[in-house]
Amino acid sequence: MSTTLTVGERAPNRRRVGLGRTLARSRGLLVAFLVFVALFLVVDWISPGPFSYFELSFMSSGGATLALAAMGQTFVILSGGFDLSAGAVISLVNVVLATSMGESAGSQLAMGVVALLIGGAVGAFNGFFVAFVRLQPIVVTLSSMFIVQGITLLIMDKPGGMVAPEFSMALTGDVITDLLPAPIVVLLVALLVWFLVRNSRFGTGIYAVGSDEEAARAAGIATRMVKFWTYTLAGLFYGAAGAFISAQTGSADPLIGRPMLLQVFTAVVLGGTMLGGGRGGAVGSLIGAYILMIVVNILLVLNVSAYYSSVVEGAILILAVLAGSFHRNSPVAGYLRLMVSNLRARRAGTLASNHPGQRFSPTLSVPAAKAGETERASWLERHRATLRYLVPAYVGFAIVLVATHLIYGNTLTNPAYFNSLLVLSSFLAILALGQGTAILTGGLDLSLPWLIGLIGIVTADLISGSDSAALWVIPFGLLLGTALGIANGAGIVFLGLPPIVMTIAMNGILQGAALVYSDGTPAGFASPTQRWLMTGSFLGVTPVIWLLLLFVAAALLLLGRTPFGRRVYAVGNSPLVARLSGVGVGGTLIGTYALSGFCAALVGILLSGFSGQASLGMGDEYLLPSIAAVVVGGTLITGGRGHYLGMLGGVLLLTALATLLAGTTLPSAVRDIILGVVVLAAVLALRDRNP
Amino acid sequence: MRNLRKLFASLLAAGCVVGAGGMAGDAAAAEKHKIFLSMSYIGNDWQAEAANMIKAMAAHPSMRDKVDLQVQVAGPNAQRQIQQINSMVQAGADAIVVYPISPTALNQVVRAACGRGVTIIAYDAEITEPCAHNVTIDQEEAGRKTAEWLAKELGGKGKIVAITGVPGTSVDTLRTEAAKKVFAEHPEIEIVAEAPGMWSQANARTELSKILATHKWADIDGLWMQVGCFTANAMQIEAGIKPEDLLPCAGEGANGGRIQALPVGTEVEGANGAYAPMGARRISYASPPYSGALALKLAVQKLEGQEIPKLTTLPLPLYTSEEMKLCEEGTWKEMSEGCNVFKPSIITNPGWFASIYSPDTPEVGLQAALVGQPEE
Repeated sequence: MSTTLTVGERAPNRRRVGLGRTLARSRGLLVAFLVFVALFLVVDWISPGPFSYFELSFMSSGGATLALAAMGQTFVILSGGFDLSAGAVISLVNVVLATSMGESAGSQLAMGVVALLIGGAVGAFNGFFVAFVRLQPIVVTLSSMFIVQGITLLIMDKPGGMVAPEFSMALTGDVITDLLPAPIVVLLVALLVWFLVRNSRFGTGIYAVGSDEEAARAAGIATRMVKFWTYTLAGLFYGAAGAFISAQTGSADPLIGRPMLLQVFTAVVLGGTMLGGGRGGAVGSLIGAYILMIVVNILLVLNVSAYYSSVVEGAILILAVLAGSFHRNSPVAGYLRLMVSNLRARRAGTLASNHPGQRFSPTLSVPAAKAGETERASWLERHRATLRYLVPAYVGFAIVLVATHLIYGNTLTNPAYFNSLLVLSSFLAILALGQGTAILTGGLDLSLPWLIGLIGIVTADLISGSDSAALWVIPFGLLLGTALGIANGAGIVFLGLPPIVMTIAMNGILQGAALVYSDGTPAGFASPTQRWLMTGSFLGVTPVIWLLLLFVAAALLLLGRTPFGRRVYAVGNSPLVARLSGVGVGGTLIGTYALSGFCAALVGILLSGFSGQASLGMGDEYLLPSIAAVVVGGTLITGGRGHYLGMLGGVLLLTALATLLAGTTLPSAVRDIILGVVVLAAVLALRDRNP
Repeated sequence: MRNLRKLFASLLAAGCVVGAGGMAGDAAAAEKHKIFLSMSYIGNDWQAEAANMIKAMAAHPSMRDKVDLQVQVAGPNAQRQIQQINSMVQAGADAIVVYPISPTALNQVVRAACGRGVTIIAYDAEITEPCAHNVTIDQEEAGRKTAEWLAKELGGKGKIVAITGVPGTSVDTLRTEAAKKVFAEHPEIEIVAEAPGMWSQANARTELSKILATHKWADIDGLWMQVGCFTANAMQIEAGIKPEDLLPCAGEGANGGRIQALPVGTEVEGANGAYAPMGARRISYASPPYSGALALKLAVQKLEGQEIPKLTTLPLPLYTSEEMKLCEEGTWKEMSEGCNVFKPSIITNPGWFASIYSPDTPEVGLQAALVGQPEE
């Protein structure tokens, strides 16, 4: 996933041995630990009263669920994967335990085992599709997340249920009164499992697969089995986390796990594990989880105003990751060195541009083949590879259309249906370009929700229904979005932050900015033209559809016919090769996130036109679909492969499916399950058959 | 370590003394009740409005010498709220006002807090732990009354579209189940489509647009929406439907929806587009955003030794089109005389929740909900 590129990378220093090397290797872990200790001391300093056993007990149980889940996720990330089902599994285990646990000790013990089994089963499901069917982890786990969420809501549609108090005491009480709280023992057991696994052949396999799958296979590692068991093991940890949260809360809530997902990733990254695999460990993730929990205390003791809390969290995340990655070969250091040598060269007059070198303009040889000599391959032949990952989304779209027609009648012949479908698709289609380009470079843009929200709120406020104001506000909004995107890109390139970290932090900062700007109550509304664009009519259809057509044409040109487009693919395939081929990797990445910022800003402006006004949180519903559409459209999540037409197909498929489901009275639990199954089926059709 | 803390504490105390300008101020400060507010997610309109009202309540002359209020946000994650409440207890809270993310997940931490003598009071959503106090509305009543109104408007017959809230929450499930029970008593009423609106006008529009791709306005007779009547009416106007033919809509207390329910031709300052009087047939209910402010007031009463009830069920604000009355300024006094909707020139966001009046909270009016300023 990571596209960080070290400027002036050097061969590792071989003279460093023994303790020095161990320290260097576990730098991320050490920094995480130091950050935790520092935060802990700050809290302890300012809070009244000494740190007592009560606090120890409560703090240890407070972070345990997150820690267990993050440790599970660590296995998957170490193997180069990605698991979105963690939060959903926690909810499922929670509701199963709270609905079926009896009073007897036997039942409680049995349910503890059931918790692990459920987690393991979902993990095995993920592992099977990732390892043996060779589907992309993010898609498999996205669909299992939806399916598991649906099942959870079927079991329990509102919070309730009861977990036996003895079960709670066993996991969250004391092992030795006033000395050793049970959660610490739980975590010690988890750590023991981690050390056993890491030092086993299987553990070496996880690291090997995450570092270089081809090399691991060549070295005789059964890579598929390793991957399968990695996901299963991760599932067991989520199961344990689910059991723990059941004990901690004494009851169930079907939504409890969902918001934990982002925090699980954040904890793993904070703990020094690299996204993309091969480096890191579960100890760091455990500490990362507790850092996230103690931040809550920090915000409290420093009395950070509510509007700023997400800003402070974002800043802590960036600083912690920066501290962990800062060393003499880190990008920051590299760019600093580059700057110094550039200055020196400028002073000495030895800049490359000052060289009176020869102009290099090679003449490329014209293909020797004359007309008629060798037949040019047919269009189909030349585009077979592209078509294979591009077509399935459209096939799925066609199937959904036919299903809609069969259920409601007169769909395929009804222009109004297609009009609504295209209007609804326009938001995702625009976002898919930005998100898709970020994914093509091997990154991800998680700052979309509040980029959309902030730009929507700021522009609606400045426009306040005036078309003449809109004339300057809309370009300003687009510019602001682009600038914020550039900030994302700059953080990724110059600070060397993983795109996920940078954009999560940016999202938090923008949320704070939106709240402060609007004082919690967004004012202003869209101008008449803005509303006409989204809800009026022009040449028979809603005006935004013409805009969408222009946008799609521009997007296809941008990614398919411009140097920028080619550079995006080059960076996605291999940043190193791209750099050695003379591609400005940093500039391309910044351009990519600027594009994503622009697209999000455009959606913010269109959405406020669609709704008539902007509201807080209006972008929240677009993050996961933007990723899903891009991936369902055949884009490789690790970058380098994909086509905007495919993404557009993914958008149409998802929107048509949502439209089909919205017109029914199916419970939303069943809708989640259907959505998960369809996403999985779509990518099954996309399966890469070459090993 | 211990010494360092003492040093720090003394420096802080020194700062306080200098700041307060003498011992008198210091003594008064010591008598203040330390009250924390643990909010959930603040990224939506309702939460921000409720928070403003709580802050205004704490700033009211009758309160500001008694209360030291600290506001914290837990986000959507129940785990963090557990941690937050616990650290509030550690920080020496006398009372904690909570918007609970989950009615059940907080039970253990709330029990522990009660055990340490901290008053816990939840607003809007409930905490099921018996030692907690709750200020809330009867969600089932909200679902039932609105459904009964709609059934009556339709003469017990017709096709309706339901836009629900966030699936998996108690509030959504209770409201929707109660409403469906009412509809089930009328065999000729049929729910033809149902979609989760997530309690947001923006989402309501997206979901309704999806539904209208496969259903026509002409085939629908009525709407039952937890949030979104304003948007539904706006969409009908855009589709060329005349104001007098708007479908009856049972929904929440957004200001925009109430403005629409005023008779056509009513003079209101700042009306624009669909945010204008159009005589829409409406019943407007609300989960009132003043509940947090009332919870704070009750918490202070409890700390002063008065008895407060474990469960305060707020009267459900419920107005039909005929009962809508425009406020001039929105002072508490004016609202107490029966006005319940505000001019678009003051409230530019039609999704803003207008049910801010309670006879029990004369401390807070429109300015409180808007900018956190109490009544004089």
